Amino acid sequence: MNRRLRLVLGVGAALVVGVALWEGYKAVGDPDGTVLFGARVLPRTDDAAMPHVWTILSRFGEPELAGGDPIWLVVLQACLFTLRSVAIGFVAGGLIGLLLAVLMQRLRVVERGLLPYVILSQTVPLIALAPVIAGWGGRLSIGTYPWQPWMSVTVIAMYLAFFPVAVGMLRGLQSPAPIAEELMRSYAAGWWQTLVKLRLPASTPYLFPALRLAAAAAVVGAVVGEISTGTRGGVGRLVIEYSREATTDPAKVFTAMIGAAALGLAVAGVVGLSEFLVGQRRVRA
Amino acid sequence: MSAVMLEGVSKVFNAGRADEVTALTGVDLTVAGGEFVSLIGPSGCGKSTLLRLVGDLIQPSAGTVTVAGKPARTARVDQEYGIAFQQAGLFDWRTVQRNVELPLELRGSSRKERAERAREMLELVGLVEFAGHYPAQLSGGMQQRVAIARALAVHPPLLLMDEPFGALDEMTRERLQDELLRICASTGTSTIFVTHSIPEAVYLSDRVVVMSARPGRITDVVPIDLGARGETTRQSPGFFTGITKVRRALRGDAVPAEAPA
Repeated sequence: MNRRLRLVLGVGAALVVGVALWEGYKAVGDPDGTVLFGARVLPRTDDAAMPHVWTILSRFGEPELAGGDPIWLVVLQACLFTLRSVAIGFVAGGLIGLLLAVLMQRLRVVERGLLPYVILSQTVPLIALAPVIAGWGGRLSIGTYPWQPWMSVTVIAMYLAFFPVAVGMLRGLQSPAPIAEELMRSYAAGWWQTLVKLRLPASTPYLFPALRLAAAAAVVGAVVGEISTGTRGGVGRLVIEYSREATTDPAKVFTAMIGAAALGLAVAGVVGLSEFLVGQRRVRA
Repeated sequence: MSAVMLEGVSKVFNAGRADEVTALTGVDLTVAGGEFVSLIGPSGCGKSTLLRLVGDLIQPSAGTVTVAGKPARTARVDQEYGIAFQQAGLFDWRTVQRNVELPLELRGSSRKERAERAREMLELVGLVEFAGHYPAQLSGGMQQRVAIARALAVHPPLLLMDEPFGALDEMTRERLQDELLRICASTGTSTIFVTHSIPEAVYLSDRVVVMSARPGRITDVVPIDLGARGETTRQSPGFFTGITKVRRALRGDAVPAEAPA
């Protein structure tokens, strides 16, 4: 109980500090930004570049366009739209990462052959890759169900999410001490039993950090994927659309950015919660 | 039927390569049912290798290993032995009870049977009240007792131990030695016990197998006859005689002729 209270207080304090920094800098900073050696190192502080926190918050309550839905609803719907890509991409990417890790652990030759490609896959710029994936998607269909643009976004989220899981789980699956493996061998345990009873449980300390990275990567992948494939309906698209109105309605783009950030926090929260639930079953001395 | 029989066993690691090592050569050894045999020798004499050959964790380069009348591989698959190492090697995500149940789980015993057997084993090592604890909550000596309980869980006729008390303090060590002897006597288990400690080997064993390195081989077998071990055994003249004999054998001095048991 005490710890929970401290957590809530901590989160509250962090929010207060964030707002204080924003408003404090806005109050004392140069309206034209802080320039050092000809480069602007801190942003402009006028209302167009840094709207007041309360302006942004009140913008959530106002309609998106004259007579339309309030912006909080629009942003929420966009986040839920993106969440579908994030969730499917995260789960599929996690499973693919797990499968690759198991394969690489099982066969040394696969590890040697595959790992360089796994690493290479993450060095390809997403901006270059996204249109290609969207282009391929346009020629596909799942049975009679035509390929939807959000599916391309999901594929991009998955593409980013599988990597931390593959690398982290490979470490985790290889983590048991040699005597633990000898012990399993002495029990005549097969490969599958050793995987289920020893390697997978032993890898949980590696799994959750990897999942947290994968969750963040899936959100980034989905948002950037929406932007670079021009997919409508998601919060990534909203960021682009609203930023075009930055001169006339500067607070608007911040609502979409807060929405994207909240989406990331929500997904990270789900991972944290599942880690907490697993940890509950394991008492630490 | 003998519990373990090794005939002309040798083991070469990295055969045919520049870093080829002859770990064991020409080993003949028979362990009778219910007998307690220690392996002692300098580092690199192949005593752990010998233990792993008996357990079929590695395969001999030559010779045959027979455990409980079967080839070593069949014996392993039939779980004819339990094994314990210097590190307890408990799975820290499992409770004490679930650790002891592990070998039973892998052979497909029912939940009820597993729980009964685990309780019986924990009673044997005096840790029943810790069944629900996790390994990290136990001392090193308690963890090692859990490891012994786990090794005995399937009631194997043979127990293989690789310096199981090596990492423990002297007092815990002596207590666990007495406990191990009591357990082996009450269950009739044959034991092969690898150790670095001469007093430990002498105190525990019916026979001490003395080995030497480069290449690893058996140089001597010292029979020990101390009768039933008790409070006074560690101070008895017979105990010290045994220690002297083993020490001489380790140094390679001539041991007074005495037929191995």
